[in-house]
Formats: sequence, structure tokens, C-alpha cells
Amino acid sequence: MIRQKSPYPYWFVLPAAVVFVTLFLVPTLASLWFSLTRWDLFTAHFIGLDNYRQFFKEPFLIQGLGNTLVYAVLTSVSKSVLGLLLAVLLTSGILWQGFLRAVVFFPVLVSTIGIGITFAALMHPTKGAINVALAWVGIDGPAWLSDPALALYSVAFIDLWKGVGLATLIYIAGLAAISPDYYEAARIDGATRLQQFWRVTVPLVRPATVTVVTLSLIGGLRSFDIIWATTKGGPGFASDVLASVIYKQYQAGFYGLATAGNVILFALIALIILPLTWWLNKREVDL
Amino acid sequence: MKPHQRNAGLAALAVAFVVFILPFLFTFLMAVKTKKEAALFLFSWPSEWQFWANLTEVVKARNYMLLLAYFNSTLITLAAVSGLVVMGAMVGYVLQRRASGWNRLIYAGVLMGLMVPPAVVPTIWVLQGLGLFKTIHGMVLIQIAYGLSFSILLYRSFIGTIPRDLDEAARIDGARPWEIFFRVILPLLKPVTVTLIVVQSIAIFNDFTNPLYYLPGKENVTVQLTLFNFQTQFQSQFNLLFMNILLVTIPPLLVFIFFNRQIVAGMTAGGVKG
Amino acid sequence: MSSVILKNLKKSFGAVGVIKGIDLLIEPGEFCVFVGPSGCGKSTLLRLIAGLEEASSGVIEIAGREVTDAEPSERGIAMVFQSYALYPHLTVRENIGFGLSLARLPKAEIAAKVQAAAEILQLGPLLDRKPKALSGGQRQRVAIGRAMVRDPKVFLLDEPLSNLDAALRAQMRMELTDLHRKLGATMIYVTHDQVEAMTMADKIVVLNGGRIEQVGSPMELYNAPVSPFVAGFIGSPKMNLVPRDGGTFGIRPEHLDLSTSAGLWEGTVRHVERLGAESILYLATQEMGELTIRIQGQDCPALGARAFATPQPGRAFHFQAA
Repeated sequence: MIRQKSPYPYWFVLPAAVVFVTLFLVPTLASLWFSLTRWDLFTAHFIGLDNYRQFFKEPFLIQGLGNTLVYAVLTSVSKSVLGLLLAVLLTSGILWQGFLRAVVFFPVLVSTIGIGITFAALMHPTKGAINVALAWVGIDGPAWLSDPALALYSVAFIDLWKGVGLATLIYIAGLAAISPDYYEAARIDGATRLQQFWRVTVPLVRPATVTVVTLSLIGGLRSFDIIWATTKGGPGFASDVLASVIYKQYQAGFYGLATAGNVILFALIALIILPLTWWLNKREVDL
Repeated sequence: MKPHQRNAGLAALAVAFVVFILPFLFTFLMAVKTKKEAALFLFSWPSEWQFWANLTEVVKARNYMLLLAYFNSTLITLAAVSGLVVMGAMVGYVLQRRASGWNRLIYAGVLMGLMVPPAVVPTIWVLQGLGLFKTIHGMVLIQIAYGLSFSILLYRSFIGTIPRDLDEAARIDGARPWEIFFRVILPLLKPVTVTLIVVQSIAIFNDFTNPLYYLPGKENVTVQLTLFNFQTQFQSQFNLLFMNILLVTIPPLLVFIFFNRQIVAGMTAGGVKG
Repeated sequence: MSSVILKNLKKSFGAVGVIKGIDLLIEPGEFCVFVGPSGCGKSTLLRLIAGLEEASSGVIEIAGREVTDAEPSERGIAMVFQSYALYPHLTVRENIGFGLSLARLPKAEIAAKVQAAAEILQLGPLLDRKPKALSGGQRQRVAIGRAMVRDPKVFLLDEPLSNLDAALRAQMRMELTDLHRKLGATMIYVTHDQVEAMTMADKIVVLNGGRIEQVGSPMELYNAPVSPFVAGFIGSPKMNLVPRDGGTFGIRPEHLDLSTSAGLWEGTVRHVERLGAESILYLATQEMGELTIRIQGQDCPALGARAFATPQPGRAFHFQAA
């Protein structure tokens, strides 16, 4: 029996809901239909699962799928591990700690395209600063971005370079939330610094780990601009991921196929993230 | 400071210098070199400083396209961030204050927004249907749609710290719902609003993918698109390309220097549960 | 000066009844205190009168007008919150004038009303400060000022003193009573502190489990409690309540005489609290269990000594089991 008007009316949600539903939800739902069609934006011709069939038949599309997984796992794991180590280092009271934190974090804020171009120059096989430096010590540096066997990993490294600052920042916040009492108790119990790290820090910083892993995994699976700015998926299709495949199909006018790629990417994220968050949260330490 | 902390600091500084600072230094040096010298890609001090010459040439290139790009990017960023502040705060407010079955639906939407990659081609189809494709305001609405989830969560958790007594006092004082929100709640959200503005401005200003899809064409270029297009155009003029990178890096650098604290708060908010 | 009438007022949250049928008349100009332990429904009852909660059934009348479904701002009430609920981003002046500015009153009129309230409450020098820069007592006065400028028919006060320290609380009790006398308005005051109820109220409403236990003046409640609950709640130290003959026997600590030689109930002294002007003694008896006895002065038997307690004639209560 509602007689008074609530002071928190639902029309407050309306503007946001209109924008979100029209520009996000409707396209997302429509993608399920359009992925089953041959489509030129004006007329859609139903072709059943042909787009999906084609996706899993073309070797370069399958490679894109595999690359996406490799790329996401690689960047996510390296960001978490390195992020935690950097966070521990940058909370230990070392010289110039604040400045170091800023330096590690700054690339997060910088244009991905700018970073991509810069690293493409630094990784140039003959003139690039990295290989020039390697030549000084007598190493014949590889073609970082143009060797098909290496390109994906080189891009993943650039992604790590740009993104590790965010992981570090989240871990620093997570470490700050751990009461020093635990470390004192562990020291009284005779734990070494390494034991403190494994027995106290790692378990208690778990909420931050969950965040870092989930965020960077979602980011890695959706990654596009860093790849597009450095290799455009090349050489060949060596560093193509789903997002770049989608863009290429879109450019070529295969709208139905591009949309099927979108649905596959969506399904992939859901298949990985939902069980993972469920598993990570289930195991959370109760404090 | 203990000796090992100083030594570790010095070692870390050295590594950080090589890994994180040298690439930026490289960008800067490339940007001030002559065309010929830049083409060598060498990590060397410029023999001839061409800062102003390169700067003016980049700005003038393609009929002052960079200025147009800055104008467009700034416009999109300002409009989208304003929308995100007001809409995000309104939803976060109702979500935090009012318990009902609708909340589950809203949360489901928020979660989708955080996780699901946008279906780009169908979005173009919708934009075309609405006459918003290739328009600045279409781009603004897209940025709002994509940024809403983060804004809502950030505001919702902050509004949880504002006592309900204030809403009730305002109600008794005769405030209508929108007056409670705009005159009492919204002013109190200032700290988190600053954080949101800073974080979202950087994200939207740096966005490349969405303008690439939804804002093609010369009239509506954005800063990141221009930079990307210059890459092919300045194939032989690396000094200008890197000058462009330098110019694109400066706004976030300034924001970082002035709003470091707010950025840290906003970025770690993702890790705060609840 | 306006009356408040509640008729069979009920409120439940889901399946849980919180207010289970309240009938009450509050006279115009009365200082009425709702008192009871936490969870008795006293705050909910106040919020129902304020309109911050919707009644599940029943009727609320303020100044002869039914307001059961009216918006809070249309009821002619003003409220002082336990947390004061001052708007942190506004100055004292803006806080007090907020409601008036919402009503789009002319600026000069707002200024005059704020000034008048500030004078009564001695807030003049603080008008341009933000709440953050005020002490607890000052915030309290600003909250009262904000209520005053609305010229309410009824003031509602929700545990307004519970965030103050003991000394300030005593002073504010006096100031509030003064203010009530000066304004002559009807005030409804919620507290869990029986001392506040006894010292300030014209009428006390004792609530228990969402129902009214007893309504009356402070001395009526002290002298003639209708139930063991009221008897135990009003008065400090608490009345001695002993189960007897299927009912409850009650005697206040100040109505027991102590003797070391003879008396009705014999026991040993278990604990003594000397407060200076008086002492509280706990006597473990065979027949009555542990009895609390209040003695004038500081002279009392030693711990472990034998002593006798005797009730003063006509002071004991017998409560029949309900």
C-alpha cells in the first residue's frame, strides 16, 4: 500500500537507463540475431550458424581465438605477479618511494596509440634502441614485432609495461589494508621475511588479487588498440586477436561475421570470468 | 631510512629509469630532432634542436587538423564526463537508498556494462537508425553508455557513507526529491566527483577504439585518431610523429601532476568491494 | 499550540510488527516524552508522526487535521535528529534558512527569521561557520534553530542529547526546558534515558514491545506504576522486583530501611557503592534474593556483615500477573 511518494523516485534512473539500453543493451541483444545473418547494415539475410561455422573453419580466425587466450593469460598473470612484487617493494619504505610509484603508474594514463608507436620504433629490428643496446653486449636482437613467432609476445610485453602500474596501485591499496599486527605476530612466531610474504601477504592480499586478475583478464581478452597501434595483427595473422579480427571483418564489410566474432568474444569472457570470479570469491579468506 | 632501504631504492631508481623513463625521453628526443636525424631512430642527443619548428609544423599539418582534433576530443570529454557525473550519481543514489526488486536488474546491467564487450556493428546500426552515427553527440552518448557502470559503482559506495538523516532532514525542510539530490546530496559528493572527472576524462580523451568505429571521417577527428592516421602519413617524418605523441602525452601528464591523489583513489576504487 | 492524536496506529516491516496499535492524545503545548528500552518502537513512532515512515494502519492527526498520508513537509512538524543531520556543505546561516529558501521566501524575510532564531539560541557569532567547525552543543543548537524557523506546530526530537557528554547533557536539558517554556510549542521527545524523561516531561509515554505500557506525569509513573516493567524502568537505582504469589512484589531502594539489629528480611552485605551523599547497598537475603537499598550518607555496615531490611509502610507494590 504505497500512498506517499518515495523520496528516491525511479525516474532518477531513467536518463541513464535510456542511454544504456539504447546504445549498449539493444546492440548487445541485436548482435545475437545479426550474427546469424549475412548483413550489409540495411538488409539482413538469415543464414543460420554459417558465420560461426566459418569462424571455426578459417585457420586464421581460430588462430585469433588462440592468440586471444594466450595474450589474456600472459598479460594477466604477469601483471598480477609483477604488480604484487612491485607493490611490496614500493611499500617497504625505500628511497624515493613516492616518485617510483608515480613513475611506474604514469604509463597507465598515457595514450595507448602513442605508446604503441614509441615501442614500434624502440623495437625496430635494425635501428631500434633495444636491439642497438643488445648489439653492444654482443647479442643479435630478434625482430620483435615482425617475427611471427615473437610478435604476440612482444605486444603482450608492451601491454604489461603500460598496465603493470595499475596492478601495482591496486596491490598497494590491498597491502595497506593488512594490519601490521599480522606481521608482528608472524615475527614473534619466528617467520622469516620470505615466510611472511608467502604465509601472510599472499593470503591476506587476496581481495586485491581477485580484482587485478579479473580486471586484467577482461582487459586482455578485449585488447585491441595496443595491437592495432603496433602490428595490426601481423605479420600475417600472427598477432591477431578476436578484437582485431572483428575490426578487420568489419572493414571488409562482413558485418554478420564481425558480429559473430563479437558474440564469440562475449561468450569467451563470460565462460572464463564468471566461473573464475565464483571460484576466487568462494575461496576468499574470512577475516 | 636504513641502508638496505637506500640501496634498494637506488637500484629500483636505476631500473625504473631504464624501463620507464627512457622510452619517454626517447619520445621527447625524437620530437625535437630534424627529419633526417629522427629517421635514424638513434637514442642520441639531437644535434640540432627543432622544438618550435616541429611543433608548428605538426599543428599546421593537414590544415590544422590537430587543433580540430583537440577541440573535438575536449568537447566529447567534457560533455560525456558531465553526463556521467549527473547520471551516475542519480542511479547510484537510488540504488544505494532504495531497496527493491529493481535493484537486482540494475546491478545486472551494471555488471554487464563492466564485463561485456560492446557489439560494435549492431551499435553502428542503432546509431545510424537514430541519426547519431559519425556525430559528436552520438560519440558523447556512447562514452556515457560505456562509462556508466564504473560511475554508478563509484557513487553508490560513496553515497553509502552519507547519513540518511540528511535526506530526511531535507524532506522535513520541504525539499522535493530532485531538491534533496541536487541541493544536498550532489554537493556532498564533491570528492568522489573530482575523482570520477579525472579518471573518466583521461579514459575518454585517450580512447581510440570507439572513435575508430563510431566517428570515422575527417570532420570529426579526435586526438587519438589523428595520431594514428599521422602514423601512415608521416611515414618519413618521425620527428613530427613523435612531436604529436608528445602533445598527446602532455594533458594526462598535467592531470597526473595536479590530481595524483584523486586518480589513485579512483583507480583503487575498483578494488574496493561492496 | 497544537494537539497530536494517534488512533490505533500500527506499523509493520514485512511480517514484523513494530508498532502494535497505539492510541494517544498529546495536549497542545505539552512536552511529551516517549521512553523505553531500545527496540521498543519509540523512534519508529516518532518517525510515523514525522511522516518519514508510512503507517500500516491507523490515523494521525496534528492540530485537528488528519495527516496520516501527508508528506513530512506538509504536517507542520520540525524534527531534531540524534545526529543533528546538519548539511555539512552549508554554513550555519544556510542550514537554518534551508527550508525557507526551498519555500522561495524573500531573502530579507529569511534573513530576519534566521536572525531571530539565532538570537534566542545565542548562535549569532557562529552564523558563517560550517558545522564541522562547531562543538557538539553548538551543533545541537543549530539543529534546534533549523527546526524553529519553520514555525512548526509540533517539534519532534529524536534522542537529541545522546551524543553529548554528561555535563553538557545536563545543561542542554535545562536549555530545552527553557526553550519549551519560551516557545510554548508542543514537543515530542524520544529518549531511552529515564532521567531525561523524568526531568523534562509534562507527560511520559512508556513504550514496550510496540505498545504503550503507561501514560502519565513523571510523578504518577513513579508513585503508581501499573506494571513491573514501568516500575523497573522509572527510578534509579531500579526498583527491587521479586516474584511472589504468582505476581510480582516491588519496593524501591529508597523505601527500604536498614538495620543491623532487627528487621523483616535478614541477609549479608554483598556489595556497597558509596556515592558521598548517599550509598547503595546490596543485601543478599534468604527470603527476597538480592535487595538494593539506598541509604542517606556514608555510614553503612561492612562487607559480609549481617543486616536487616524493612519496607516502609504503604510503599510496596503488588503487581498481578497479566
